[in-house]
Amino acid sequence: MIKFHRRDFLASAAGLALAGSALAQGTPKKGGVLKVSANANPSSLDPQTGGSGSDHSFLYPIFDTLIDFEPATLKALPGLAESWTNPDPTTLVLKIRAGVTFHDGTACDAAAVKFNLDRARLDPRSNIKGDLVTVEGVEATGPLEVTIKLKQPDSALLLILSDRAGMMSSPKAMQELGKDYDRKPVGAGAMKFVSWNDNEKVTYARHDKYWKPGQPYLDGLEMNVIPEINTALRAVVAGQNDFVYFLSPQQKPLIDRAKTLAAVTGPTLYCPILFLNFSKAPLDDVRVRRALNHAIDREAFAKATMAGLSEVATTVLPKAHWAYDPKLENFYKHDPDKAKALLAEAGHKDGLELHLIGYTDQRQQQRQEVIQEQLRKVGIKLRFSTFNIPEGSAAFFSKAEGHGLLSQWTGRPDPSLTFTLLYGKGSYFNSGRQEASPEVTAALAASRASADIEDRKKAFSVLQRLVLEQALSVPLLFQFELDAHHTKVKGFTSNLLGKPRFDGVWIDG
Amino acid sequence: MLTKDRLRLVGRRLVQIAPVILLATFVVFGLQQLVPGDIAATLAGESATDARIAEIRKLYGLDRPFLVQYGSWLWGALHGDLGKSLLSGEVVLDSILRRFPTSLLIVGCALTLSLSIGIPLGILAAVRPGSRIDATVTSVASLGVALPNFWLAMLLVATFALNWNFFPATGAKPLSAGIGPALLHAALPAIALAAGGIAEVARQLRSSLVEVLSSQYVRTLHAKGLSPAAILWKHGLKNVSVNLLTVIGLIFNRLLGATVVIEAVFAIPGIGSMVVHAAIHKDFPVIQGVVLALVLIVISLNLLIDVLYTVLDPRVSQK
Repeated sequence: MIKFHRRDFLASAAGLALAGSALAQGTPKKGGVLKVSANANPSSLDPQTGGSGSDHSFLYPIFDTLIDFEPATLKALPGLAESWTNPDPTTLVLKIRAGVTFHDGTACDAAAVKFNLDRARLDPRSNIKGDLVTVEGVEATGPLEVTIKLKQPDSALLLILSDRAGMMSSPKAMQELGKDYDRKPVGAGAMKFVSWNDNEKVTYARHDKYWKPGQPYLDGLEMNVIPEINTALRAVVAGQNDFVYFLSPQQKPLIDRAKTLAAVTGPTLYCPILFLNFSKAPLDDVRVRRALNHAIDREAFAKATMAGLSEVATTVLPKAHWAYDPKLENFYKHDPDKAKALLAEAGHKDGLELHLIGYTDQRQQQRQEVIQEQLRKVGIKLRFSTFNIPEGSAAFFSKAEGHGLLSQWTGRPDPSLTFTLLYGKGSYFNSGRQEASPEVTAALAASRASADIEDRKKAFSVLQRLVLEQALSVPLLFQFELDAHHTKVKGFTSNLLGKPRFDGVWIDG
Repeated sequence: MLTKDRLRLVGRRLVQIAPVILLATFVVFGLQQLVPGDIAATLAGESATDARIAEIRKLYGLDRPFLVQYGSWLWGALHGDLGKSLLSGEVVLDSILRRFPTSLLIVGCALTLSLSIGIPLGILAAVRPGSRIDATVTSVASLGVALPNFWLAMLLVATFALNWNFFPATGAKPLSAGIGPALLHAALPAIALAAGGIAEVARQLRSSLVEVLSSQYVRTLHAKGLSPAAILWKHGLKNVSVNLLTVIGLIFNRLLGATVVIEAVFAIPGIGSMVVHAAIHKDFPVIQGVVLALVLIVISLNLLIDVLYTVLDPRVSQK
């Protein structure tokens, strides 16, 4: 049984005040269309068949999720499910909010939720089957009550339902449209889908029967696809668009110089990281992996690549995250002598050469150069093979080419998912597929076992310490989100996922 | 106008179209097979397993043999069905019909600018070769050819859009939204594209005109007492017009290619941004559709130019 602790409530209120300043921005006004510079064409507007991390900002306006999350810490909050209980560790009962309708007028009730979850688990075109592998079955046990049976305890499921799997579509629309549903989404969110021209724009109009009273404030939303970030910012400076996100830190001075613009920054889960194949020699020796961690000067790396808009990483969770353990800070200090000593101890007195996979874009090349230079100082020579993102990832994760991959971890709503995907035996992101250690496997399971957040925090402390001791990867830093908007845009709050949401936004004057 | 010879020429060209299209689309399709990369990996999402990627490949028919895939695309294309984008499901013909006019408007404006500025400059320079005007035109033209158009584009935006707000900084409007707004949006990209075109036209025109004007028959014309103006307009320009036509054809094709970069700078939803996105992800129905459309445009333009050759130079159709 989950209860909201008073402490949690206070913490979340504080978190909201910190993250938001939305409350301090005046009284919301109705009307107006928000024009956004978006960075990429969506892969699909059906949350279940899409596959790109940049889709979310396009999906959130159309789709409300079963579970919501607190922007600053990613703790679960009620969404379309107004409450939930765990009668036993392998059962999750969701109580669905009454009176919610999809944009086509059909009801978002227990039957609709069951239809959505079953489609996500079983449809051949679903890309999110993996998110729901622990689900044994879903039943509508009442008109507004859904019971999810699990194969094993999985407290990560709650926040999975704040992601793609929790985005509810109209079953009627999905059945009638089949494959065409990819381009004609019908959800229960604040905005109705209007049109989508590939690589040009997606337009939305307000959903008058939205369940949140008074919302949405906007009459409409226009997501203009502009992949080139300098052009995307220019469109906002020139006043053609009102909002732009996913900017690079080097653009901050341009925003500050423009009088009509305001910058928004905040930490995100987006973590540039050196993935290691810890099953492959010489990285199967923990001393070599530790040496790598000591050899990297993260402060210098952050300064060179992020112009200060970042937070140095110890594990793959940033400081603001609810499962972050401050005791682990600075676990690996920058210490080239120690790194050399560890290498000598492992039998690499005269240094060694590693083959890394990297990506071809300019920002990644810069990161490669900095890492190459830092590791050279302790006698580790790096040889990079570069690819575009999907192919580089496939080379390292699927084909186990190279010793490591300099890439980024974009985060998952629940930290159990992050750790299992990165370090679990047989997981896709564990390039060698082997078990890190029996202790890690046990700690991974323990992090999903309890639904109580305090128990989970303890489990994550243990797990993170083990992962650090084993030096299973080299997390570098957390990238801050950098957005810019016209000063007339009010009520925007950044979130730790780093995927902007425009709910609660209004245009002043 | 349409003499028997010209009709025969058009007929001959039309017969050539089919093999050219077949060859172009086949080669492009084949090249996509050679380039590393796999659209199934993109379609399967961020953390897909090999098994999932294989499943996707089967689902989209990507596991079929190369010739079968090409054949089924060709069969569809012959029936007017260019298919749907593998990435997003958008009907390819819809995207092409929406995007080509945008790009063609910019290319058209850039070509008009190239000719209306390049031709007078070329004439000015050629009339007095070696003069100060000639030196100025020649060096400005060299600069125009050397300037990267994306850099010029950024300067133009910074000055005319961001500083002075004369023009919009990004985007495009279709002609259906009104000629004024459409031209206003097309202006900066067209100017940026035209810089190279102006220089090219001026240089080419100058050199061929200088050659004509220094030839023996022009000397004879002078001796006959014909005025320099009459020599230039009646004999000089008529003789270089065939060269000029060739240059126009080349510039048009180059401008069409250059829109890829310019469209990125101005966030213009034209053909360039469409084909770049498709090529990066190997979205073959889109690539094939665009190639087909481009081939058709280039062939029609070449046909038009061939016909115009015969108008300007009767010897062409006699050959």
